[in-house]
Amino acid sequence: MLNINDLHVAIDGNEIIKGLTLNVPAGEVHAIMGPNGSGKSTLSYTVAGRDDYEATGGAVTLDGADVLDLDPDERAARGLFLSFQHPMEIPGVQTMNFIRTAMNAQRKARGEDEISAADFIRLVREKSKLVGLDDAKLKRQFNVGFSGGEKKRMEMLQMAMFEPRFAIMDETDSGLDIDALKMVGEVVNALRGPDRGFLVITHYQRLLDYIKPDAVHVLAGGRIVKSGGPELAQTLEESGYEQFIEAA
Amino acid sequence: MSASLIQNASAFDAGIEAAFVARSAPNEAQAAAFDRFSKMRLPNRRLEGWRWSDFSAALRAAEFEDATGDVAIAPSAFADLEPLEIQIVNGRVILPEESTVEGAAFGVIDSMATIPDLETHAIVSLNVAMNRKAFGLQVDDGVILARPILIRHIVDSGAPVFAQTLLRIGVGANVQLIETYEGEGAPLYSHLCHMALRDKARFHRFVLQDTGPRAVMHALCAPKVDGGAHFDQTTLSIGARLARHETVLHYVAENAFASIDSAALLKDERHSDISTYVLHKAEACETRQVHKGVARDRGRNVFQGKFHVERPAQKTDAKMTANALLLSEGAEANHKPELEIYADDVECAHGSTVGALDDDALFYLRQRGLDEASARALLVEAFVGEVIESIENDDVREVFAARVADWLAQS
Repeated sequence: MLNINDLHVAIDGNEIIKGLTLNVPAGEVHAIMGPNGSGKSTLSYTVAGRDDYEATGGAVTLDGADVLDLDPDERAARGLFLSFQHPMEIPGVQTMNFIRTAMNAQRKARGEDEISAADFIRLVREKSKLVGLDDAKLKRQFNVGFSGGEKKRMEMLQMAMFEPRFAIMDETDSGLDIDALKMVGEVVNALRGPDRGFLVITHYQRLLDYIKPDAVHVLAGGRIVKSGGPELAQTLEESGYEQFIEAA
Repeated sequence: MSASLIQNASAFDAGIEAAFVARSAPNEAQAAAFDRFSKMRLPNRRLEGWRWSDFSAALRAAEFEDATGDVAIAPSAFADLEPLEIQIVNGRVILPEESTVEGAAFGVIDSMATIPDLETHAIVSLNVAMNRKAFGLQVDDGVILARPILIRHIVDSGAPVFAQTLLRIGVGANVQLIETYEGEGAPLYSHLCHMALRDKARFHRFVLQDTGPRAVMHALCAPKVDGGAHFDQTTLSIGARLARHETVLHYVAENAFASIDSAALLKDERHSDISTYVLHKAEACETRQVHKGVARDRGRNVFQGKFHVERPAQKTDAKMTANALLLSEGAEANHKPELEIYADDVECAHGSTVGALDDDALFYLRQRGLDEASARALLVEAFVGEVIESIENDDVREVFAARVADWLAQS
């Protein structure tokens, strides 16, 4: 599914990702853990196609097709979703209109019909209940005046509605209380399936209590320095990242 | 011409003097107004307040031609609102077929020959010198006009054109006025709108500046706002070669309110100037002002706003915000927000920003599936949305929003 092979990424000439290789097969959830500054967000921005995050070497493919040459919206249309660590407030953009516009833009790019207004409303009602956002919030301008937790719920709402092929969740757990963590777990577990993959980037093991990963990788110094099963997260929680920073 | 009134006359000056002389006999006040203009001439960039909008330079070499013949008039974008439609075509007032509206009187009346507060304004002086007739509207006390008034300024002329509208809105009356500026323009179109807003009247003015790119025009609206009255104005300008919309608002009694919003969408070489002056002379009046300017290519967004609070105007509450978005290297924004305050118990504030589109927001939208053009358009639409969305009249708001969407689609 998502294959990253010997990826190198530089920002303003500084190499941040230094030969990263990672394969997430369809149907699996992989977690990436690592200290601050290890390149976690750089990795997610690069895979999503942000300007200025330049891949200087290596390859990223989704379902076997190269994504690095695609525009961010083309990647989105192929089913790549990024849950942002710091979701944007976009004043003047009405939330429901935006989500519907985005959904239809993706559908159009895939050659699918637009979602009808009635179906959209039904879907947004159902999924907003799942993520715990009330109607009043959906009528507001996008994320404007929302708390950190509400913004993360808005990310989860979009993920639940778009049903992406592959989702990267960049520190979705940061700033969330236990109830919200449970909600994130429910959204991910409901979407989990043989055709879908997830890359969950996190500092802490606690989100992984709700999303049982198939594999855990440690990112330090711009590479994967260790990979293992779910038990690796527990080890990291106890012993910290220090050993890996040195190793990198 | 042997004894020219104007020294070192430019082509415009010579032409305008000939036009003045050719007019039917001016009264004393009109002659005096022309005399004032002759001394001041068209404002140039060396004058405070005209630095960024130099009418003298724009019109210096203007040669006048005989006014063109018939002007084709398409239905208004506001036709669905079934307004009372008045057309001012190259300065000539064309009244609607229906001749009466209950509670209101309207028609062609003598123009104002002087406006004491504005005698130092060169273009206003020229306007009062050149006009003989004006469109007049008087709305009786307590009358709520169900239909909006639509005044269409349609200009396609080889010579300068001058128009006046004089409005008197009675105590407690409620009126909505839509004003559109259309057509290819003229070597100066000047419109002067003078209005008295009596106690507790509510007046909404919607202005759509939508002329061709060669138009040079100046419109000045001077409302006198009486106690407890409510003046609400929204201007949408897509600019012109030079298009300046001035508002000179005087609060003459206490507890009145004004909202003065504007948005400018400018491309190619278009220039829009929104200049406002609000004089707080009475206690406890409240002013809200928001300007949003968007410029691309070599478009130029000028905003000048001034709140002048005199000593008796205690408890004044006045806020002004001007934001500009520049979409191209060559685009320009010039903002001058000003406060001049002589009262000590007031709340006044202004803020001004100029910036580019937010890269973070742009990436966010694209990650959600919007292509670059759509993402940019959505952010620009959102930027001017604060002004457009605050229009209370749903039908008017829809027409304004459609014009914005149209502009974005052409960009």
